[in-house]
Amino acid sequence: MRRIQDSGFRLWFFCIVLIAVSTVALIKTPPAYAYGKIVVLYAAASPILKELGAGNRVVGITRTDKTFNDAVKLGSHLRPNIELINALRPDLIVAGSARAFPREMAERVKADVFYYDPRSLEEILVKITDLGRLLGKEAEAEVLVKRLQAKLSLVSALSKKPSVIYEISSKSLRVAGSMSIITSIIEAAGGVNAVKVEKKHVLLSPEKVLESNPDFYIYQVGPMNKNPEPPLKRPFFRSLRSKVVKVPELEFARPGINAFEAVIDLNKIFRGEYNE
Amino acid sequence: MTNPKRINLAIAISVSLLAVITVLAVSKGAVEIDLLEMTGVDRDILFYVRIPRVLLAGLVGASLVLSGALFQYVMKNPLADSFTTGVSASSAMGAVVAIMLGFGAILPLFALAGGLTGLLAVYKISSVRGRVQPITMLLAGIVISTFASAVISLMKFLSDDAVSSIIFWLMGGFQSASMGKVMILAGVLLISFLVIRKDYLSLDIICFDDTTASSSGVNVARLRRKAFFIAALLTAFSVGYAGIIGFVGLVVPHVVRLLKYVKAAELIPLSLLFGALFMILNDLIARTVLSEGQELPVGIITSSIGGIFFLYLLIKRKKELFYFD
Repeated sequence: MRRIQDSGFRLWFFCIVLIAVSTVALIKTPPAYAYGKIVVLYAAASPILKELGAGNRVVGITRTDKTFNDAVKLGSHLRPNIELINALRPDLIVAGSARAFPREMAERVKADVFYYDPRSLEEILVKITDLGRLLGKEAEAEVLVKRLQAKLSLVSALSKKPSVIYEISSKSLRVAGSMSIITSIIEAAGGVNAVKVEKKHVLLSPEKVLESNPDFYIYQVGPMNKNPEPPLKRPFFRSLRSKVVKVPELEFARPGINAFEAVIDLNKIFRGEYNE
Repeated sequence: MTNPKRINLAIAISVSLLAVITVLAVSKGAVEIDLLEMTGVDRDILFYVRIPRVLLAGLVGASLVLSGALFQYVMKNPLADSFTTGVSASSAMGAVVAIMLGFGAILPLFALAGGLTGLLAVYKISSVRGRVQPITMLLAGIVISTFASAVISLMKFLSDDAVSSIIFWLMGGFQSASMGKVMILAGVLLISFLVIRKDYLSLDIICFDDTTASSSGVNVARLRRKAFFIAALLTAFSVGYAGIIGFVGLVVPHVVRLLKYVKAAELIPLSLLFGALFMILNDLIARTVLSEGQELPVGIITSSIGGIFFLYLLIKRKKELFYFD
């Protein structure tokens, strides 16, 4: 009888210990195992996932994303197809912003949502670290952050901070405001954004451009500014005295790894060493 | 019976007002300019940016109003304007195609092509043995407008990153004004005005009914075709140069009618002046209301001010609006 009780107690004790150990093990396990399937709804975040070595977990992307060719296309970043997302059964969704992927939309998907919406180079590094922690790729994230920080050390000092106006689109004339990632890129490259309005994009009067007389008038070419008329050929800018430079939008105006390369290119532009 | 003294006085007052508003608009803007002590930059801003902009705003305002007034005559409908006839949306569709394909430099041509295509479609649908039916034309216009709006929405949906550029352009504005555009639109408006001027009496007569107009010697079908084409042409140029600016073509002719100028000989010249004045004023607000050189799309201002003002007039003097009854 006592033997039965002893063996019963041992079994009970063993089970308790087993449950406790399992629980501790589960708690201590990095969430990497929880995020086996990732959907990326903001193309600027895809190269980061690739650099972190999590590319093999990406199962869905937006239609303009060229980073992962094998992933399923889920529509645009503003209107992703919720049915397609649910069909992929992702564990994690990397979205651009709460405006692009609102909470109501997120509630229709059984997955955690990570918002990737950095407004500055520092915020990009913070987001990389956060993603690394989420995906159990802390070491890789640390390496990437250090590499990007090292890139910034290649920026050459300038004798004077050049003022810049950065054109987002020419129809209607919209330029980068102080809340744009562009401002952070300009400042890291040694310049200053002549537009101080606290917005991402500003509908600006051409009069203000002429009055500001920036050292550089940079205009991007890409999806937001398709085939724009060169600024100096526009009648209202015929007296613009700034140095006009054309840059590719996808390399300059996206808050991703490319932004750090853009800093170097912009620094070269300021030093007069950049070839379009 | 037109009272020449009364209309001449009204035109003189309108011209004086327009002159005052134009001077005010030229002297005010995102940048403070002392007209008596101008620097080189001030001169550049004044001659290359501000003056072309004020002139273009005035011409677009006048064009949209003439177009709206003609549509109201042709369709015998006080609610007709470039929107209800589908020409505005068709022009915008052409312009959005240009933005998407990266042909921004020749955007007005695309707008013109779109507008004329819309016009042709409306005309074909509403013609029965060469005669245009006003009600059918209005319905066809609404259908074409709806279709063009759907195409614009589809293009916005497909354009992803370019969507904000399209939306901002569609809201209207005169940022890209130039003397070249001013010259072209001034020419189109002047020719249109001179052509339609000969038909003032005929326009008044077709307000009654087609049988009465025909028995009075008016070639109703030809007059409708002519007025419709001129109105569409003016709308297409306006949309191509300034985006979609709502409410002006609809409201201003009614305001002039409410001031008891109802005959075409009075209504059209006065409407042109009022339209120019109204648009210059709206653009002045759009480019000065915000700080640090920020602008508001002018379409927002025209719809807000025009809407409130028209609502006030409608409540105060609604019985006088039944001119077409």
